[in-house]
Amino acid sequence: MVFSPLVLVKIIFLNIWRVLLRELKMMFARPLYLFASVGVMLLSTFFFLTLMKGGSAEEMPVAVVDLDQTTISRRLTHEMQATPSVDIQLVTNSYPEARKAMQEGRIYGIFVIPEGFYDALVSFKRPQIDFYVTNAYTVGGNTAYKQMLTMANLVSGAFQLEVLRKKGLPDDVIMHRIQPLAIEGHMVANPWGNYSVYLVSTILPGILGLICLMLTIFAIGFELKARTSHAWLRAAGGNYTVAMIGKLIPYTVIYLVLGVGCYVILFRFAGFPVYGSHARLLFGLVLFIFAMEALGITMIGLLPTLRDALSIGALYAMLGFSLSGFTYPQMAMLPPVKALSYLEPLRHYYLIYVNEALMAAPAINSLPYALALTAFMLAALCVAPRLHRALVYWNYPLK
Amino acid sequence: MSEYKYPIVKSFVSELRRIFRDPGVTVIFIVATLAYPLIYKALYWNEQITDVPVAVVDLSNSPESRAFLHKWNAAPDIRLTHTCSSMAEAEQLLRDQKVHGIIYFPRDFEKQLADPLGQAHISLYCDMSSFLYMKAIYLSCNQVMLESMRNIQIDRYEQMGMDKEFAWALVQDAPYSETALFTPTGGYGSFLIPAVLVLILHQTLLFGICMLGGTAREENDENYSFSSLLGRAGACFIIYFALAAILLGFLPRLFDIPHLGAIDDVLLLIVPYLLAVIFFSLCVSVFIRNRESGLVLLISTSLIFLFMAGISWPKEMIPEAWRYLSYFIPYTWGAHAFIHINSMGASLIHTNGFTASVAPEFISLWILAAGYFLLACGLFYVRKKRVWANK
Repeated sequence: MVFSPLVLVKIIFLNIWRVLLRELKMMFARPLYLFASVGVMLLSTFFFLTLMKGGSAEEMPVAVVDLDQTTISRRLTHEMQATPSVDIQLVTNSYPEARKAMQEGRIYGIFVIPEGFYDALVSFKRPQIDFYVTNAYTVGGNTAYKQMLTMANLVSGAFQLEVLRKKGLPDDVIMHRIQPLAIEGHMVANPWGNYSVYLVSTILPGILGLICLMLTIFAIGFELKARTSHAWLRAAGGNYTVAMIGKLIPYTVIYLVLGVGCYVILFRFAGFPVYGSHARLLFGLVLFIFAMEALGITMIGLLPTLRDALSIGALYAMLGFSLSGFTYPQMAMLPPVKALSYLEPLRHYYLIYVNEALMAAPAINSLPYALALTAFMLAALCVAPRLHRALVYWNYPLK
Repeated sequence: MSEYKYPIVKSFVSELRRIFRDPGVTVIFIVATLAYPLIYKALYWNEQITDVPVAVVDLSNSPESRAFLHKWNAAPDIRLTHTCSSMAEAEQLLRDQKVHGIIYFPRDFEKQLADPLGQAHISLYCDMSSFLYMKAIYLSCNQVMLESMRNIQIDRYEQMGMDKEFAWALVQDAPYSETALFTPTGGYGSFLIPAVLVLILHQTLLFGICMLGGTAREENDENYSFSSLLGRAGACFIIYFALAAILLGFLPRLFDIPHLGAIDDVLLLIVPYLLAVIFFSLCVSVFIRNRESGLVLLISTSLIFLFMAGISWPKEMIPEAWRYLSYFIPYTWGAHAFIHINSMGASLIHTNGFTASVAPEFISLWILAAGYFLLACGLFYVRKKRVWANK
């Protein structure tokens, strides 16, 4: 039989339609598909957007060990309490008590005002302030550290102010003598020092990517496991490409809706800044979604046993959160680990995000990462023959 | 298997068999649990971030600014890699991610310093794409600034007619010393790896138990008797006690990350932690229909549990509702208790006036273990009824 091209195209579309209908029936027959995509994404978005009150660490609990018990030590304690970044949870005259509170995880720092501090100060005997922080909780420890460092320096300043005032100098003359040098800090693209800006805007797309990967593996792998792949191919008229397109259309629609929804929530409603191009950032997110979907096809193609592909896929995608370098920068990683980080689509998305949202860089800067994401799609094409064989011959173990 | 007199022994042995005959479960229970810590150690190998590249824009081009830069460049945290003639040029470098910070000296820097009433300004621009960049750049620059400032102050006080001795004493009137307690050299890995070790135990148990439950359900091989509950929990407990002892007791020593805790404290903590996680996972597994669906549905809980526990993000900054919910997750208590013991030297049995106790976390874990045990009994009972009805 010879078909005219028009009829051929019509048949292909009919087959895709048939596979698609079959897939939709399967999807709605089991709650798993919608739970694992829409449900998980809604929950994660809600969780991460409500988790970080305000996004910066404030009122971190610390202890003051006041061994001096004078007006000046009390004033110091009072002034420290007035700062936004720490909250004095404990004022005590016992260092062991404060140390214990730190071991219990109740405070992140200890500020020790020594005995005889005031007397030593006024007689220029240079009393020493000691402060202690914990590294076991990094954000709390750092915040407490910065504040206690500032306080220790303020002590000096306040005392100089007193001495110079007694010498009869006016305040404005004194101030610049005490503080002749100042640093103006500028946090580029995140002037509020907001943690959730950089954390959530990478974690949420990362979770979406995780969903794309796992669900794509599951959707294809389950046909192998349930031995339904012949029925699937039959519906597609025996054509692998038609079978894949028909199957993946409904999932891709779900992923894209979730992606655009996530984008709108992050950069419109939650108000996370985008200094560069919205169009390019959104395009980067779409490429990332396709790359993760393609990675799912590659995984099930390489490991056509559902359980193996899922376990390895989970491992791979979870490492992406660390390897992308949005908390622990890539420059600190060992060379082989650094090399591995290029195999994570999330890293490329994160770099597009930095370029577009934070740096407002020109398009050319993001191009390499967009190309890298495209390469993941080509990889999925390479496993097509192997996956096709697995669908036909069932030559892999079930469990 | 009639050789076993007690049904509980029978289900214990048959569960061990099922675990080791199922390559999927073995991979999660044994391979993943042992491989993950190694991967994370390799990932966070360098504790500190060093040599963060910084661009210099020095419009004052003065001996003072050069001295400042020279001192700063000696700090291990940063490296001055580019010298730019304008801010625009430096911003371009930052945009291209060639540098992660810019230091800018205005034209009047020297003049302001020389003026006894002047205040000189330095501007510092930090790349905020990772907070560790800012930490490295800002703190090290601040340190140099404070040092330089003292010298300037002394000069100015001398100009005012103070004698040098007095000026020196005035500037240095209250020196300070800073100490990182418990983990003096600790960096990012020392902080995160202990929390990750506890999480690995939690999540591999959860995924593995869900896989066992889902498989049994697929193969119509479900057994929801009381003795099966105890036998299954027992089998997981035996395997994981050994694994947990390796992960929490041995690996911190091997990895050379903080390990201040006593081994007996760690082993004691493992018992209620594992029981709580096992019964929690058994409760979840009742709802899992397929072998693989647990992994697909629950994979993102790894991130949620980690953040909800208040470890990466301080627990004080987590809204009450999430904090209360986190109390029902065994990981929350297990992670804090382990960090307190392992990274800060708290204890369970060796407490004295100087050592804090992890008893609150320990007791909470026992309560969770008991609670999830009872819940699992209830869920197993309901499920048993359902299976009978279907038959």
